Amino acid sequence: MKLKKLQVFFLFFLFLTPGILVAQTAEEIIAKHIEAHGGAEKWDKVEALKITGRFTAFSLEKNFTSYKTKCGAYYSDLFLGEKHVFEGFNGKCGWTIDPWQEIEYARNINSSETNVFKQKAEFFTPFLNYKKKGHQVEYIGKENVDGDEMYVLKLTREDGKSEKWYLNTKTYFEYKCEAPWVDFAQPVPAEMYFDDFREVDGIIVPFFIERTFWQRDRITQIESVELNPKIDKSLFAMPKRKEISKLAFMEGDWDVKLEFMGRRGTYQERGSTESCIKFASTNLLQEQISYENGFPNKLSINFTYDAGTQKYRIAAFNDFASTFDMFQGELKDNVLVMEDTQVSYSDKANPTRMCRQFTYTQIDNNQFTVENKVSTDEGKTWKPQARLTYTRKTENTLSKK
Amino acid sequence: MKKTNLFFTICAILFSALLNHAHSQEVPSQEWNQFRGANRSGSADNVDLTSFTDKEPKLVWKKKLGDAFSELTIAGGNIYTMTSERKDSITGDEFIAAFDEKTGDEIWRTRVDNMFFDTFGDGPRSTPAIGEKNVYSLSSYGKLSANSKEDGKTLWQVDFMKEYGSKVPRWGFSSSPVIVGNNIIVEVGGTDSRAFMAFDKSTGKEVWQKGEGIATYNSPVHGKINDKECIIFANGRKVYSLTTAGDTLWTYNSPISNPTGMPIVFDGNKIFISAVRNPGFIVLEVNNNKAKEISRGTSMKNDYSSSIYYNGYVYGFHVAALQCISVKTGEKKWTKRGYGKGSLIRIGDQLLVLSDKGKLIQVKATPDAYTELGNIQAIDGKSWTAPSFANGKIYLRNLTEMACYELK
Repeated sequence: MKLKKLQVFFLFFLFLTPGILVAQTAEEIIAKHIEAHGGAEKWDKVEALKITGRFTAFSLEKNFTSYKTKCGAYYSDLFLGEKHVFEGFNGKCGWTIDPWQEIEYARNINSSETNVFKQKAEFFTPFLNYKKKGHQVEYIGKENVDGDEMYVLKLTREDGKSEKWYLNTKTYFEYKCEAPWVDFAQPVPAEMYFDDFREVDGIIVPFFIERTFWQRDRITQIESVELNPKIDKSLFAMPKRKEISKLAFMEGDWDVKLEFMGRRGTYQERGSTESCIKFASTNLLQEQISYENGFPNKLSINFTYDAGTQKYRIAAFNDFASTFDMFQGELKDNVLVMEDTQVSYSDKANPTRMCRQFTYTQIDNNQFTVENKVSTDEGKTWKPQARLTYTRKTENTLSKK
Repeated sequence: MKKTNLFFTICAILFSALLNHAHSQEVPSQEWNQFRGANRSGSADNVDLTSFTDKEPKLVWKKKLGDAFSELTIAGGNIYTMTSERKDSITGDEFIAAFDEKTGDEIWRTRVDNMFFDTFGDGPRSTPAIGEKNVYSLSSYGKLSANSKEDGKTLWQVDFMKEYGSKVPRWGFSSSPVIVGNNIIVEVGGTDSRAFMAFDKSTGKEVWQKGEGIATYNSPVHGKINDKECIIFANGRKVYSLTTAGDTLWTYNSPISNPTGMPIVFDGNKIFISAVRNPGFIVLEVNNNKAKEISRGTSMKNDYSSSIYYNGYVYGFHVAALQCISVKTGEKKWTKRGYGKGSLIRIGDQLLVLSDKGKLIQVKATPDAYTELGNIQAIDGKSWTAPSFANGKIYLRNLTEMACYELK
């Protein structure tokens, strides 16, 4: 009986041993790798990096600037050939302005790009605090690459995508990495090569990084690395499109005075309500407002800018009537006029239809007025119906709420 | 014989011997008269170059040229190449032009077509071929032209799109014509078995037509396989071997798709073909007019830059890494990164490598190790055109200018 127990224990030990050894080996390699990069203690003091240098794409070399933070945020201003590209990532979501895709404004990145931005956001090596980041590492073995012996480590990120890292067995520096990449937003496998390791205030980083995928070749030649620079966090946020930014005066929380046109032809106050207006995307400003004019009305109003017609558009959904309406207009001399005279839902002309107009006036940072008018002659003449005066909530009114 | 006469006779013999010796040491006049040089292999033999570190290349001249990627061809004291010039943001002209080899000054230019515009670089990609009296060029929109070397006068022109239904490829017609006897042979990419055609070089009249396939970016090889003269076309996924009369010797369905780099004929009956996508390269062996793949590998993936074969090894740009591989085994002998998607030629036992940003690097053509002999920043900007070499000088071009350096 004792012998059997001993046998079972022995077999169990044998079963476990290689795993323990492998784990130790990977840990040891990573520890020496981090040490080669200056050591964990020095890296722990690094909250952010500013990296500048020259970036080559399509054989054209241009300046670039990148920022990276410890929490995984990343921003870069670079040229891809002749085209000026901007990229931002807050650690979870990212955006890019990439004229190569014939999109001149910021767009959200897809899942493959998100993985790439996570790679770009790393402080050079992904093995720094890799467990905290949720990466898993597996030691594959040794391999000869370009005449030098390498430790091969497989790193798997939280999203399940994995990379193969080749670390020089003599220096413990990374030499090569095989990782998923993107080309014009489409996933492609890439190879990266690292060279020219230099010390910057005690940490060691590669000043030469070459990346190849398909027939593409990208070279990053770093010229300076600044530790813990001051960073404006708004850099990482998706920038608004230029035209929709002109409506930024609306963004915020508002007290709204309601006035409706009485039978005597004068406005009569009918209480007040609240409105919340926020940018939901690069070209989308959304307002939520509810009020009572006999019946409860709850409106969801979406403002966008259409580059084709060079006009602003409103798509408004009225919860009470369960109707959806569209308006189009322009911002001129600090007055935004939106109307539905150009919008028709019928194949036939309807001379008796009622058109509506919303005029945004008296615009400043803390107040604006919206006047609603109607027309039964296709916009030749307009009759006022309602007036909403928006006053920005103060700290006090916000906290009361 | 008097003593004086004997003395003069001996002196005369010695002087004559000295003269003959001096003459035998003289390097024969070298020309780079077509795409990839005289034998379309990117190589020139019987030249010993001094190390750049011993004698730095001397700039002879540098000139603005206009947009193009065509190689500079050199013969009879002149440079012939293609170029283009904008009129405005959407229109422009494409030219065949001649320049003085010594000064780089323009001698003449003749319009051959409309300008080709592209985000990655405007202008023609094809390289002209220099004949005895005329120069032959293929424009980006498929016009094959013969122009007088003397004054650039257009002698004839054939429009491939109009005459043969060819379609302009993504990067424009890029194949470089080859002169074989009285014919100009070129990839046409036309309909009705007119993928490859030969034209009478005096008249431009059709001589023969062969093959199915659209216009690609590969240029015909003219050489000998098993001592038989032939023309090799690598078009799409097919390799054709034709006689100079246009008869098919053999064809081979290739796993290599649309190679841009020149196929290399070596060892009398073998052909190395490489492209940027998998499998990378193959080696064909030809016996009794049958081609058989004898090896393939991923260690050399040429994009638009052609490789060099030398003494059993292939030197070339594996995507963006300068690399030496064994042609027999595909084994990588060495790799050098940092030159981007450059180009190279071989002069004697040295490689002259031009980085994609205009750095000229002198490297030993040996599989032992990457051995650099020196480098200079020869030209700036996007440099995707392989160098040309003639009479001790190297001629370089980037997208918009050209330069000449004395190497000896």
